[in-house]
Amino acid sequence: MSAYRSFVQLGLGLWTTLRQIGRGASTISYPEEALKLPPRWRGRPALTRDPDGDERCVACQLCSAVCPTRCIELQAGEREDERRYPVSFRINFSRCIYCGFCEEACPTLAIQLLDEFAFSTEHHQDFIYEKEALLIDGTGKHPHYNFYRHAGVALHDKDKGQGSNESPPVNGRSNLP
Amino acid sequence: MKRVFYLDGQTVPFTSGQNVLEAAIAAGMARQIPYFCYHPALGSLGACRQCAVKIYPHDDKHPPRVTMACLLPASDNLQLATVDKEVHTEHREIIELLMLNHPLDCPVCDEGGQCHLQDMTVQTGHAVRRYSGPKRTYHDQDLGPLVYQEMNRCITCYRCVRFYQDTAQGDDFGVFGSRDRVYFGRLEDGPLESPFSGNLVEVCPTGVFTDKVFRHDYARVWDLQQGPSVCPHCAVGCNTMPGARLGTLRRVRARHHPEINPHFLCDRGRYGFRYVTAAERPVQARLHGARSRQDVVLRQVAMRLQEGRSGFLGSPREDVQSNLALFALADCLHAPFAALSSPWMEALAQQCMALPQAPTLSDVETADHLIVMGDLGGVAPMAELAVRQALRNGAQLTVLASQPTPLAEAGDYRPTRPSALPDLITGLAEDVCLQGSRRPVILAAAETLGPAGVHALRKTLARLPANARAGVFQNSPNLFGAAYFAVDGHTARLQHALRQRQIDHLLCLAADPLGSDWGAGTWRSLVPGLQGATVLDMVDTDTVRAAEAVLPTAAFPERDGFFINYEGRIQAFAQVYRREAPVLHPQENVNSFPAAAGGQMHPLGPPTPQYWLGRLAELLDIVKPWQERLAFYQHFLCPISPHPDSPGVLLDDALRARFEIAAAPAAAPVGTEDWELDLFHWYGGETLADAAAELQSLAPARGLRVSADISAPFATLSGPCGRLRLPVIPIVGMVAGVVALDQEGFAELGLYPGEAVQIQWEVAS
Repeated sequence: MSAYRSFVQLGLGLWTTLRQIGRGASTISYPEEALKLPPRWRGRPALTRDPDGDERCVACQLCSAVCPTRCIELQAGEREDERRYPVSFRINFSRCIYCGFCEEACPTLAIQLLDEFAFSTEHHQDFIYEKEALLIDGTGKHPHYNFYRHAGVALHDKDKGQGSNESPPVNGRSNLP
Repeated sequence: MKRVFYLDGQTVPFTSGQNVLEAAIAAGMARQIPYFCYHPALGSLGACRQCAVKIYPHDDKHPPRVTMACLLPASDNLQLATVDKEVHTEHREIIELLMLNHPLDCPVCDEGGQCHLQDMTVQTGHAVRRYSGPKRTYHDQDLGPLVYQEMNRCITCYRCVRFYQDTAQGDDFGVFGSRDRVYFGRLEDGPLESPFSGNLVEVCPTGVFTDKVFRHDYARVWDLQQGPSVCPHCAVGCNTMPGARLGTLRRVRARHHPEINPHFLCDRGRYGFRYVTAAERPVQARLHGARSRQDVVLRQVAMRLQEGRSGFLGSPREDVQSNLALFALADCLHAPFAALSSPWMEALAQQCMALPQAPTLSDVETADHLIVMGDLGGVAPMAELAVRQALRNGAQLTVLASQPTPLAEAGDYRPTRPSALPDLITGLAEDVCLQGSRRPVILAAAETLGPAGVHALRKTLARLPANARAGVFQNSPNLFGAAYFAVDGHTARLQHALRQRQIDHLLCLAADPLGSDWGAGTWRSLVPGLQGATVLDMVDTDTVRAAEAVLPTAAFPERDGFFINYEGRIQAFAQVYRREAPVLHPQENVNSFPAAAGGQMHPLGPPTPQYWLGRLAELLDIVKPWQERLAFYQHFLCPISPHPDSPGVLLDDALRARFEIAAAPAAAPVGTEDWELDLFHWYGGETLADAAAELQSLAPARGLRVSADISAPFATLSGPCGRLRLPVIPIVGMVAGVVALDQEGFAELGLYPGEAVQIQWEVAS
């Protein structure tokens, strides 16, 4: 009885194999051939820009706080119009585990994971990417979002009350009902 | 019997006078009751309607009802619940209401991470915004270099106004408007005038008021290295919590001390810390003005010391151990030593030490009769804050001063010449008002009183009832610690040795004898006999610039130590961080990045004075005797070392009693026709805080303050050590015949408060 069952199982296995003969190979010869990665692939993080071309990062430090390997280090600075930006932003990719927590935590959609995942250098210290290497020129996966159009702070080209969903500034001195 | 009430079935202990919210917070049950407008120092208001609880009456007639915990006095066996549908609805809907107009700019808000509103929103579970209408916005004001305003974030809890107007009694900040347009700010843009304006940052439960100094060099609070420290900017010794990141100091906050500063901190304490990051701060050893290697400088200094022609000068600005280490080294080398820069200051320190136990600031708050002498707020702003709390509690205040100080405006101002103070103090012993009060307290600015005044104060106290207490304040953190060495006229001996050319080298520890220290005029006249000076300091002073060798020392948050404050309380402070070079410009530092583990990324900061003095002892081959002496003195002075987290220990009375035998100092006689000097002290002025750029941008103009009937634009003062030409600033309400001058001016003239001065007025052309 058990011998019969074994033969049936063997036959089924062979049939599964034979069924695939007509199809092509599902492996590719990486790295000669490029991989087709899904858009939500978690590769190395980059800093994106908003639709106006300015950097999105406001140096809120949530990415460095949430990072389980503590590989992100940044220092906040201020521009003349009091807009916050990261003076320095470095990610140590020899520690990064591509978990994507930073992307999830980022309130301004600045840090986004690219599809780049295989990169190598000769020295460990070359894995420490500074801001110049991290900042890309595009908007990444979110082409329209601009944090400062929604946040209530004033900037050089946007006064109080000019953000989305804001009413004009009230007169705090008025006693009218 | 322990008194308790019940919250959600759990017992909560309370003391009489507490409200339910206060008791619940004290019992660690704050998570059950969210709140906004309640603040332990400001009390309950019931404005935010957030701290709802349900009360179950004990009779059957009344149904259970929802009420505000902060307005409900705690009483025995009260039955309260927060796990209740109605209470939950109240919590949820009130927070939703408060969040309606909130701009949701947490990523760029400095309060993020330490925000009460953030905490309460998360705690209450409000996560989804249902209202999609337009949000209310405000224009912001420029409130000066210290406080940053962003009115959009306001939830109208009124904490700021309650602090500023009620607690600090400032009058240039308030609440305007009506309806939902209520606005908290000044009438016009401009810097906040109160010396306590920085507390708005800590009092505000959201990000309306944030720290502008911290803002320019910002780090999230979770990234900060924090530790217990003590404020080094005056004799009060407030407890502070400095926060550092990447080897640089970023901010200072108040740390709870029940008897000194339970909640608040003055602006000098909060913003004076920038001396640590000042560009002029000496961080590398210098020889003849040029940067040099540590061992080269040390060898040069050791060679000097070996000649045996050196004097040692300590400072009330340095902590106990550093002064002791210097004293021990001087002792080993049989060299003259002084801890204070002038005989006048030495006599003053002795007299301060001999005073009976001073009241704590919490004692001052409960006083019912206060006498304040001199500009207390300028010397020790936190003492002024305590006086203002006593005023709120109905105390009677008399101010004896030559200038209309802010405190004088709040009390009974009696214009007084400084030279008349000792006699007035003696007269206080017969004051019926003072003898009849329950808790009379006398507070004074030490330098305005002078040694004679403090001596008279001690004699008066002995004749007053035992409940009368007195405290004198000075703006250096460790006058009592330095006063230990002020017994035998050390300073006069040191100056004499220099004048007689017995010594030609001076080793100064944080002393500025050629700059703005008391008695600097005398030192300057002795410069010709000085072949060179070695300075151990953490700020750039005139003496540092003139010194032959400079050994930079660690700032106070960068090391451990002890200060002894105005009441003789030994308080320890701990090292908060290690100084490193800032990593603001990564391009410059990228090459020095460690290739392998164990490499040093940035040069470390300056070491402690004990380290320098120990190295000198090594080079002089006297390590063992130096260490023995140091251990002996330390055992003698502070046998118990308090922990930085503890409230500190008071000095032994027996140690202080030996100062009572000091001779009664004689005040210089001043004729009624003479112009008399008094000290003008700005609340942000102090040797360390003078290097804090943001704070100093608020400093008043330098000048000679006189009564308003003088119309001369300039005046030239002459003293025994020099002349000084200053613009005249007329002050309404100032005593005629008195001129007020800053400490630098006194140093230049070689005079002291309460002494006569020659003045030439320039007639306006």
